[in-house]
Amino acid sequence: MARIKFEAVGKKYPNGFAALENLNLDIADKEFLVLLGPSGCGKSTTLNMIAGLEDVTDGNLMFDDAVMNTVPSHKRDVAMVFQSYALYPHKSVYENIAFGLRMRKYPKDEIDRRVRDAARRLEIEPLLERRPDQLSGGQRQRVALGRAMVRQPQVFLMDEPLSNLDAALRISMRAEIKQLHQAMQTTFVYVTHDQAEALTLADRIVVMRGGVVQQIGVPDEIYERPRNMFVASFLGNPPINFIEGKLVDLGSGMAVERGGLRVALPPEAALKVQGQSGRDVVLGLRAEDVVEDPSPVADATLSGRVAAVLPVGSDQFLEMEVEGSKLFLRLGKECRYREGDNASLTINANRLHLFDKQSTQSLLWA
Amino acid sequence: MTSFLPGRRTLLFFGSLLFALYVLAPIAWLVSSSFQSEAEITSVPPHWVPEQPTLENFAAIFQFSEEVVTYENRKQGDTATGGFIPSTAVNLLPSMKNSFIVALAVVVLNLLVSVPAAYALAKIRFIGRTSSIYFMLSTRVIPDIALVVPFFLFVQKLGLMDNLWALIITYLAITVPFSIFILTGYFESLPDELDKAARVDGCSRLQTLVLVYLPLALPSLVAVVLFTFLTSWNEFLLALMFTQTPASQTMPIVVASFTSDFNISFSFINAAGVMAIVPPVIIAIMFERYIVSGLTAGAVKG
Amino acid sequence: MTWCPEAADPAASGPVRKTLEMQDIKRPQRRWFVRPSSAYDQRSAMLFLAPMMLVLSVVAVFPVLYSFWISLHDLKLTRPHRVPFVWFDNYVKLFTDPLFWESVGRTASFTVMSVLAIMVIATLMSLLLNENFRGRRVLSAILLIPWAIPYVANGLMWKWIYDSGYGALNGLLMQMGLIDKYVVMLGDTAKTMPLITNAFVWKEVPLATILLLVTLKSIRADLYSAAKVDGANVLQRFVHITLPQLVPGFALVMIYESMMAIRHFDLFFILTEGGPADASHVVAWQVYVETFRKLAFGTGSALAYIMAVATFVLAYFVIRSTSRKL
Repeated sequence: MARIKFEAVGKKYPNGFAALENLNLDIADKEFLVLLGPSGCGKSTTLNMIAGLEDVTDGNLMFDDAVMNTVPSHKRDVAMVFQSYALYPHKSVYENIAFGLRMRKYPKDEIDRRVRDAARRLEIEPLLERRPDQLSGGQRQRVALGRAMVRQPQVFLMDEPLSNLDAALRISMRAEIKQLHQAMQTTFVYVTHDQAEALTLADRIVVMRGGVVQQIGVPDEIYERPRNMFVASFLGNPPINFIEGKLVDLGSGMAVERGGLRVALPPEAALKVQGQSGRDVVLGLRAEDVVEDPSPVADATLSGRVAAVLPVGSDQFLEMEVEGSKLFLRLGKECRYREGDNASLTINANRLHLFDKQSTQSLLWA
Repeated sequence: MTSFLPGRRTLLFFGSLLFALYVLAPIAWLVSSSFQSEAEITSVPPHWVPEQPTLENFAAIFQFSEEVVTYENRKQGDTATGGFIPSTAVNLLPSMKNSFIVALAVVVLNLLVSVPAAYALAKIRFIGRTSSIYFMLSTRVIPDIALVVPFFLFVQKLGLMDNLWALIITYLAITVPFSIFILTGYFESLPDELDKAARVDGCSRLQTLVLVYLPLALPSLVAVVLFTFLTSWNEFLLALMFTQTPASQTMPIVVASFTSDFNISFSFINAAGVMAIVPPVIIAIMFERYIVSGLTAGAVKG
Repeated sequence: MTWCPEAADPAASGPVRKTLEMQDIKRPQRRWFVRPSSAYDQRSAMLFLAPMMLVLSVVAVFPVLYSFWISLHDLKLTRPHRVPFVWFDNYVKLFTDPLFWESVGRTASFTVMSVLAIMVIATLMSLLLNENFRGRRVLSAILLIPWAIPYVANGLMWKWIYDSGYGALNGLLMQMGLIDKYVVMLGDTAKTMPLITNAFVWKEVPLATILLLVTLKSIRADLYSAAKVDGANVLQRFVHITLPQLVPGFALVMIYESMMAIRHFDLFFILTEGGPADASHVVAWQVYVETFRKLAFGTGSALAYIMAVATFVLAYFVIRSTSRKL
């Protein structure tokens, strides 16, 4: 019903600046797709293209095999929720929600039914006669959602809708959006720069940077098997730790060496880099992949000076200096290290990531 | 801004008084003079407040009968000034009607031309946007004087002489750039995302303009109407050029004709002046609050 | 929850220095490319702009070109059928005419004097109106009156005030004991221009005040708060925050008023008709004389054209500063 396909789509501006390059993306019907990336990566441009707010300069954008490149927004069946809600200030909440339906000439009673239905689901019924400036941020967000919901569109577009809300509200709204998706059974395309949001909500994530797609996959895959250093560092909080080093052949397997630090690679990984001793690589270690083990394991230990200890209620974070690099690691509350101590932590070698230093591409996963 | 001096209240008070006086004193004198008879008005030193106020000057304006100027009439006037009420006095009201028609037409047409253009310049990104802006601004650079000759010849050839339309079109060209300037500034201050939301909701560009942005741009619309109306009402040089017969003359021309005749009574001239300023002053005072807010972009948030 | 603690900017201590924010304000973003969003947008924009383009082309562009064409001819309406093409003769005649240069000088001095007076008074008034006090709205409404009235009414009013026989100015001066008997006002060549200047200034001040007020109001309030915290006193705040942000608006108003002064005609017509003895014979008046009294359209056009060019040069600066906002 609403398959969206990007075929080699590009967006170039007259001065040569390319916001999008060769985007190939197939969005399945009823999928919840998240476009994730830093500002300027092209995710909003992509969303705007689906909405018809921006022109496609190269390639084809198709809705169910119909080329939509030149179809203006008001002729497409999409609904959009904006970061700043974009509610019409001079209209009541009721009118805001009803506006899209009125423009499409739905009969009055149908409009009324849909508006009240949506208002009930979003629990904003008592607000129907109020004006946007009389509402709180969270309430405004619901009205914006309502406005999109009543249209029952083929595609639901969301451009960082939760960025303007405070932290607690953001988390509860995420759950509501997820439920909305289940209830509406429609394709959702969601843009955000918040990796936690992406991991929570998405059926699939498209990681973008500088107009180029970095990786497309289900959340688990993106997190566990990042294809390059950018994707590895963008997902995960705190960001992944990178340690530069060289490959060495230990005879019994491959390892990465940096100064006094040597980390042995697990067999499957070692296989992929067999015989490449001397290659400049970057090791990727997530903060949660270390433990405090009283008995240090050979070639799997991080030792260094603790530069800072930051307790955060449920865990502790350690900032450690290892061979000149600063690493952020997470440990349990029981850990008793203090600033200035020399610490020794065991690495979970099975969860290591390995990248080529030059190309930043992953050496473990294609 | 911040309050600083200890005598802030007094400073503000005296400042306000000073400026109010600066502005009002000449006007007050004008009004006062218009209520004085010719005899009183020529007293030395002048009577600041009329001691024997009279309405005869205004009566002459509102009379609709032709007052034939004869030797007798002239003698009735003050011998000191030779002052008398001219027969052309009766032209003042009809000329005001002409001015009003022209101003109204210009306002309507101005809005029809400026509003879409301002919206496009503010909200639509298109090729040629910057050049349009420069083009528009540069047309306003031409002093009205430079338009005189070509317009005169052109209008004469087309037989539009003494036709109010010549004035209407000309005033339109004069007021459009400034209107667009004000409206564009105001539209730009309105959030962009409203535009996007409306279009996704199903509005064409035109519908977005009319249904969403216009209601929000009210202060600047009022400022534009005001400015356009006043410019048309007050314009002199072009009207002088385009209107030769009393039937088509606008108010400034008729009033100016009074001042150039040295025999006309001073009190009458002042009364004519008062008539001339009443409509614009009333309108300006009524819409005072919109002027500053209409010119200041950024009044609407969220 | 962000992980890495934000790197703290070392706060500038001491008197108010240029903070990062102020630098942003002084050099506003310039959009250096225009991106059309879509073909539909392009069409809509063209459609919306069409009426304006039509009106302006016909009524502004055409006359300019036509007027230049005329200025190259010796067109006298007294003998309209013989119109020789004389190249730049009209211009040469003007530039070699000492009377022309005298009138240019008068126009220039008029402009300078008026603009000076306008800027001083308008600045004071706008600073006053920027404060909040009871009756401010009333003052603001009163202020609009000179702006609203037509120039002819303005001229008429001042002509009566300046009247040599019965004028209020004479009366006032005599009552204040400054003169013994009524003196000649507009008819006195020494007084002519200052009096006209006063009438012009009186009428122009409101608009200048409002434009400056708009500029003042656009200065962000939180900059003052930041400065207070940084330790700046009243004068320092004025010098480091108000003044720098006032300057562009100030320049804009100054240039605009200069343009208005150069081309001003109405008062010269009503008050003095270029006299007495050419004391108020400015360029604008000369154009009128050539065109309507001598019916020498060729010369009139040339003169108008010169004025247009002079104004254009001035306006170039206006366009530069306003296009930054647009």
